[in-house]
Amino acid sequence: MRVVLSWLRDLCPTDLAAEELAELLGRKGAEVGSIERPWAGLSGVIVARVLEVRDHPDSDKLCIARVQTGSGEQEVVVGVRNMGVGDLVPLASPGARVVGLPDPLGAREIRGVTSNGMLCAPDELGVSSSHEGILILPPELEIGWDVVSVFGLHDVVLDVEVTPNRPDLLSVLGIAREVSAATGTPLSAPQAGIPEDEEPAEGVATVEVLDRDRCPRYLARIVRDVRHVASPISVQARMTAAGMRPISAAVDATNYAMLEVGQPLHPFDLALLKGPGIVVRRAAVGERLVTLDDVEHAFTDDDLLICDVERPVAVAGVMGGELAEVSDVTSDVLLEAATFERGGIQRTRRRLDLSTEASMRFERGVDPEATPVGADRACQLMVEWFGARVLRGVVEVGAATERRRVPMRASRASALIGYPVTSAEAREVFDRLGIGAEPVDEDTVRVEVPGYRVDLEREVDLIEEVVRIQGYEGVGSVLPPVRQAGGLPPTSAFLRRLRRALAGAGLREIRTVPFASDQDLRLTGDADPIRVTNPLQADDGWMRIHLLPGLLKAVRRNAYRHVRSVAIFEVSNVFRLLDGQPDERPMIGLAMTGTAEPGWTGDGRTFDVFDAKGAVAALLADLGIDWSIGGPVGRPFHPGRSSEVVVDGERIGMVGELHPKIAERLDLPGRVAVAELEVRNLMRLSTSDLQVRDVPRFPPVRRDLAFVVQVSVAAGAVQAVLQEAAGGLLDSVLLFDVHEGAPLSPGTKSLAFSVDLRASDRTLTDAEAAEVVEAIAARLAADLGAELRSA
Amino acid sequence: MDPNDAARILDEQLAGGLRRLRSASTLDELETAKVEVLGRKAPLSEVQRSLGSLREESRRELGRRTNEVFTALREAVESRRSELEEGAGSVELEADAVDITLPGRRPRPGSLHPLTLIEQQMVTVFTRMGYRVAEGPEIEDEWHNFEALNIPTDHPARTMKDSLYVDVPGLLLRTETSAVQIRTMESQPPPVYVIVPGRVYRREAVDATHLSVFHQLECLAVDEGLSLAHLKGTLEAFAHEMFGRQIHARITPDYFPFVEPGAQMAVSCFICDGVGCRVCGNGWLEQGGAGMVHPTVLENCGYDAERYTGFAFGLGIERVAMVRYGVDDMRLLVEGDVRFLEQFEGVA
Repeated sequence: MRVVLSWLRDLCPTDLAAEELAELLGRKGAEVGSIERPWAGLSGVIVARVLEVRDHPDSDKLCIARVQTGSGEQEVVVGVRNMGVGDLVPLASPGARVVGLPDPLGAREIRGVTSNGMLCAPDELGVSSSHEGILILPPELEIGWDVVSVFGLHDVVLDVEVTPNRPDLLSVLGIAREVSAATGTPLSAPQAGIPEDEEPAEGVATVEVLDRDRCPRYLARIVRDVRHVASPISVQARMTAAGMRPISAAVDATNYAMLEVGQPLHPFDLALLKGPGIVVRRAAVGERLVTLDDVEHAFTDDDLLICDVERPVAVAGVMGGELAEVSDVTSDVLLEAATFERGGIQRTRRRLDLSTEASMRFERGVDPEATPVGADRACQLMVEWFGARVLRGVVEVGAATERRRVPMRASRASALIGYPVTSAEAREVFDRLGIGAEPVDEDTVRVEVPGYRVDLEREVDLIEEVVRIQGYEGVGSVLPPVRQAGGLPPTSAFLRRLRRALAGAGLREIRTVPFASDQDLRLTGDADPIRVTNPLQADDGWMRIHLLPGLLKAVRRNAYRHVRSVAIFEVSNVFRLLDGQPDERPMIGLAMTGTAEPGWTGDGRTFDVFDAKGAVAALLADLGIDWSIGGPVGRPFHPGRSSEVVVDGERIGMVGELHPKIAERLDLPGRVAVAELEVRNLMRLSTSDLQVRDVPRFPPVRRDLAFVVQVSVAAGAVQAVLQEAAGGLLDSVLLFDVHEGAPLSPGTKSLAFSVDLRASDRTLTDAEAAEVVEAIAARLAADLGAELRSA
Repeated sequence: MDPNDAARILDEQLAGGLRRLRSASTLDELETAKVEVLGRKAPLSEVQRSLGSLREESRRELGRRTNEVFTALREAVESRRSELEEGAGSVELEADAVDITLPGRRPRPGSLHPLTLIEQQMVTVFTRMGYRVAEGPEIEDEWHNFEALNIPTDHPARTMKDSLYVDVPGLLLRTETSAVQIRTMESQPPPVYVIVPGRVYRREAVDATHLSVFHQLECLAVDEGLSLAHLKGTLEAFAHEMFGRQIHARITPDYFPFVEPGAQMAVSCFICDGVGCRVCGNGWLEQGGAGMVHPTVLENCGYDAERYTGFAFGLGIERVAMVRYGVDDMRLLVEGDVRFLEQFEGVA
């Protein structure tokens, strides 16, 4: 709500400055988002009379106007010719400043003629956005007067952020009430009462409301002798500053009254209403209407229409139609002031995607008591501005709803606010707000809620008013008596542990947006994904079912930005449908690409599957989980460099490299090592209990054994057989070398293990060790065709 | 040998021997020098052998002196040997020298995300005050996300414009962690003291200060006798722990359907001490919405709203992280740029 300060002061004559008011309103819950000065810089523009308009010697379009100022005559070059001899016009002489130009004006030569300043169009004075002609000033002004002070073009606008529960603040009057309550300055509301004509409105037109639930009150006034003139310049300026476009005096009167008192109004051209009469009814399905913005809408039977006796002429509470629009030939107006049910207006506004000043107020709640106030104020302005004739009385259906009476206990207020409040103090608060409150007993007051305060429904709402007006700054500061030990549930605690372990393994945590695109789903396979029905962008059309696509996008972004070494992880939820319902599961994902060890100590090696596997090993060791490599995984991974991660025969994730073709297609450079693990499985399998083993008291016998096997034999298989064959004396095995090529024969490789043998009760003899080595060699030879190369 | 000659030789041998030993620049040279100075053919040894021929008086005096010289020279041999062995001047060690200004080998560093760090710090502040962490689903139903929170069907906040829906009827991506308030109260009787850190979703365009997916930390306390003062006290305690003891907390009236009275929370800016700076503007850093739990919400969860009162508030985790670490563009938090993330190495 844009509130023009002078307008606010008309209704509540406070002498607080704009900044002070902003601070005050903020402390009362109506935050002022910005303070604007739309006329800042406008100066030196004076009233001048046009003495002569003649052709420019060197231009068909331009003309030269000779004008009389207070101190003499002056000539200016003008681009339009709407001013006539004798008209008063705004003259900006050299040195003056106008809206939209950063520098003061100077005398300027235009095609050989010196122009001493300019005549101003409405937009150059910030009166309206019109730039069609020079602003013709009212004849009663005097030459030489300062235009800024004559029309008040130095005003300040407060842009108030109104919360949705306070539609009463969508009017200057509403804001004035708040200022009055906060400062104690009495309200000076617009004077009621208008001079009515002898002719009664009753009988001129009819009003019928067929849906009283959706339209509890409809009031029409008839205004005759409407003239097509512009509103007073100061009014246009105010409306422009408030964010509404001035149109013509009759229409402006309805908008001005709405901005002032909060009641949306609509003028119909009486001559264009069939009947003439108004019928408020639901639309027939498919019924159509062209609204004032020249858009044709089709309606459902949930939409409420304002019709004449034959056809729709407006969308109730949203926008008028073209058929009965007020125009420059309109002489009689039927002025609508009505109350519409909030939800219905909101549904229609959403369906039509058409938000207006009227719908914005109706869907939040318009004061049912304000219907006649708004209508009278608009009529008053029409009388004042162009001498309209307002017919006697109104044509009305329905009435204001009765006011709620809500009791409030001072004791309850004290308990909720945390400082003592007496019922007398509470009554004083409501008195300042201009709301009636009567004592019921020592503790209780009964508050009569005026129609404009739709937010005051129950006791607690009144308690908020008490602390709001008394000031939140008076609330104390106490810690609650918590009588429990705080802490984390197992899942949260486990996620913390995972993140720390992964960071400890040399990975950087990232957070990505948990959406997926069609392409992302295709990449990982799309098992029962959940669709986002109204995403902001098409790429966010699904909930992700894997972390991998997000990680890969981050990898690519880093590669584009020339980051040498990328090793990242994310721990977060993925989503899919399970039996028709969403299933949210936390997952771990990691991705590594680029130089494994940048810097002089590295060998220039890039990340590969063994880095990912190492990270998985580090994590699972941290969690105390024994795991192994399982079967192959398919797309989108490298068929020869990827595998399942298995614990006790159960698949809990994968580790590997991205398929090189897919990496290329995704514009990812080089090998991308990745892993994904299911957190729930890890949580179930992890152990945090530790029972220490005895530290060995006897030295080990260390034997380095190299075996030559066929290349196709997996190192893991060799080690497994080795461990089994070694039996109980085996302490540890370390695979320390893998070699292919000379001097080995083609198709074979050598695997070198460092084997520690140890007994817990004695130092092993060489003979005992030799026996174990022999057993190992024999088993490997028999099972895997391995040949012991050296021992 | 004349005792005077003997004494002179001892002095000469001591001085010359020490010089000779110190000049040895390798272990081999030292060995040669040792034989020259202390060997059987060395003048010193000759003096020793001649001691027997001296008179008792001179013999005792010269014998003691001879031993002293022997001991001093032997010590010099050992000290020079250590010197040579330990390197200074050793050729082998010189060959083994490195450019010590080269960077050291270090394990590849990892790091936690700033939102993780801030969330953990915030959670710790509250768990130390006795709050328990509660959890709830990100895909939420309209009852928990809206109705139970006193946001009826025709409420402006419930437009498709503001919320993201999924293609399961009645479900949407939660717009507030407040949904977990309801789940918590439905599952336990009062008193309740919980916090809910979590991800929330809004249908909002992303820019430097807005994300459509962001994180909140919800706080809910329901007990007998809780008031606005308890809300303010808790906020203040949080601010003191997170930003420092000098911080002030402020509440101003605001509107959220699930609280009444409702409030906006702010803490005094710890960068400028509340004077007003580039980060805060007016001296206050807004922290999020707050208020006394609306009696309708308590009633919706089956609580006796006359007996129990409570407060709730939602803190923006991104906002705290931005202020705390001086991040001026929120999008950095979701881009995964390593050059941003690596700055959080070692931050606890």
